[in-house]
Amino acid sequence: MTFLQLNDIRKNFGEVSVIKGVSFSAERGEFVVFVGPSGCGKSTLLRMIAGLEDVSGGAMSIDGKDVTYEEPAKREVSMVFQSYALYPHMSVFENMAFGLRMAKLPEAEIKSRVLEAARILQIEPLLERKPRALSGGQRQRVAIGRSIVRNPKIFLFDEPLSNLDADLRTQMRVEIAKLHRNLGATMVYVTHDQVEAMTLADRIVVLRGGLVEQIGTPTELYDRPANTFVGGFIGSPKMNFISATVEQADGARLVLNHAAFVGGHLQLPFAGAAALKPGDKVTVGLRPEHLSLDAENPVLSLSLDISENLGGATQLYTTGAGEAVTLLVAGRPPLKPGDKLRVGINADHIYLFDAQGLALRA
Amino acid sequence: MRLSSSKLLHALGLTCVIVFSLFPFYWMIAASFKTQNDILASPPVWLFAPTLDNYRQVFSDSKVFGAVGNSLLIASATTALAVLLGAPAAYALARFEFRGKADLWFWFISNRMMSPIVLALPVYLLALQTGLLDTHLVLILVYLTFNLPIVVWICTDQFKSIPPDLEQAARLDGADQFTIFRKIYLPLGAPGIAVSAIFSFIFSWNELLYALVLTRRNVQTAPVVATSFMSGYELPWGKIMATGTVIVLPVTIFALIVSRHMVRGLTMGATK
Repeated sequence: MTFLQLNDIRKNFGEVSVIKGVSFSAERGEFVVFVGPSGCGKSTLLRMIAGLEDVSGGAMSIDGKDVTYEEPAKREVSMVFQSYALYPHMSVFENMAFGLRMAKLPEAEIKSRVLEAARILQIEPLLERKPRALSGGQRQRVAIGRSIVRNPKIFLFDEPLSNLDADLRTQMRVEIAKLHRNLGATMVYVTHDQVEAMTLADRIVVLRGGLVEQIGTPTELYDRPANTFVGGFIGSPKMNFISATVEQADGARLVLNHAAFVGGHLQLPFAGAAALKPGDKVTVGLRPEHLSLDAENPVLSLSLDISENLGGATQLYTTGAGEAVTLLVAGRPPLKPGDKLRVGINADHIYLFDAQGLALRA
Repeated sequence: MRLSSSKLLHALGLTCVIVFSLFPFYWMIAASFKTQNDILASPPVWLFAPTLDNYRQVFSDSKVFGAVGNSLLIASATTALAVLLGAPAAYALARFEFRGKADLWFWFISNRMMSPIVLALPVYLLALQTGLLDTHLVLILVYLTFNLPIVVWICTDQFKSIPPDLEQAARLDGADQFTIFRKIYLPLGAPGIAVSAIFSFIFSWNELLYALVLTRRNVQTAPVVATSFMSGYELPWGKIMATGTVIVLPVTIFALIVSRHMVRGLTMGATK
């Protein structure tokens, strides 16, 4: 059964429309990640689920109950803020106990719940401290602890890791994943970091300009992006795009024109070729990690601008007939700027998009 | 070397400010222990045989004690009311959007723009007609109108500096508006509330004009009594200064007690 349901949710701030009709649903226990560039409305959407922002249009339900106009506290959701938002004048224990005290739980129950959460998050020695005496990572744990104790129906996370340094971020990411597994709770998580989205999510909702671009599992989004935006947003380094022209389209075969292709042409099997005709513009998407230097049938002829040694791998920045193309290759190939490269790719890994940027499907 | 010379300059500047503000107090306290002759001596005497005569006179004058009592009652009541009414108003102004908010804000501030003496006569007539003349209540009400804007002003600023995320976290935790005010805004706004309470107390304690105009015998406040010694042909400076010293004490004690709430960085650790 659908646990969290958003139906054509809209939000206007005065004249400005920030969320332009978002619909999606999440199952009980699912980990959903909202991802998108800044200003895409992902945080606003999360805050609307929390009840901290009014809904301008549409409907929302949690566990079968309409909560569109429900008070935040009655939605039984809890939220971890980007800023943590710990009560600075209260001890860690009191921070976590605050919601339970508001719910007028008996003291013994409050104590046992807080201690249990503190045990899960390994912050038992910190319970008497004030937030200012904690490190960033510890504050983060307390903020998560505060949401655990209330045993909410849905956990909401608003870019919880963006204030942490890289090491700690990775560590907390793993802990949040563990927490999700152990609690089996429904979680909605907002981030602009596609790595967090890929690693944590059961399902990702990609947002741009207040609209859903695509909803799917991380693998679906990576393998079958709906458009150039999702293709470029998911995956690191970013997908390369080459604007080519259709030269020949017959049956299951497509020939594309671009000066960066070896011989000026790229020939590939494509079952959806019938929808195209010569002269059409298409965008070819190539992931940096799919490109290889030692292919038997090279498709791209490129010239190396600069190479970055990442230790185990090397990132190559190249140009081919004015188009910038990035490659990610294993090891440390002995190359120098200006070298001519002949680069190959498995035809299965070539993404095609039409002139509007929508994926062309076989 | 440049650093130490700038530090020296800094210290020198601070010393000047401290001497400038504390010298009158020194003069008052020193004079309260001098005989009339020593006080009027020119050039002034810096070394003198201290006397407690002035204090004996003050403490034998029951008017002074009554006046200090009146002042305490009026200043405390005014301060309590100003904070009680001003802090919630400041919360509303700091965190809510409502119609007429800007006008209301300006009205609060404009109350401070008027010179008090402009209103002295109308207020006197009002007090006369309502039969409030020479009561504690009339001074409390008048001082409240002057102090409320200060409390609202300082507290609004203080409350605005509290991260809004805290309020939203509390809302999600199930706290209602009043609980949020009590449990989040009051403790975290304590420095601003303390400052405004001190201002309010000092203002009410020092106020002379309205105290002179609106009181007769029953409710004379400390400044009124102190100045009442300046009568006839004699100016008993020693007694006036001793009274002044006695008057300054309570307000200093109040400020010292309240100032421990004036710590910076109370919201440290809330965010990031």
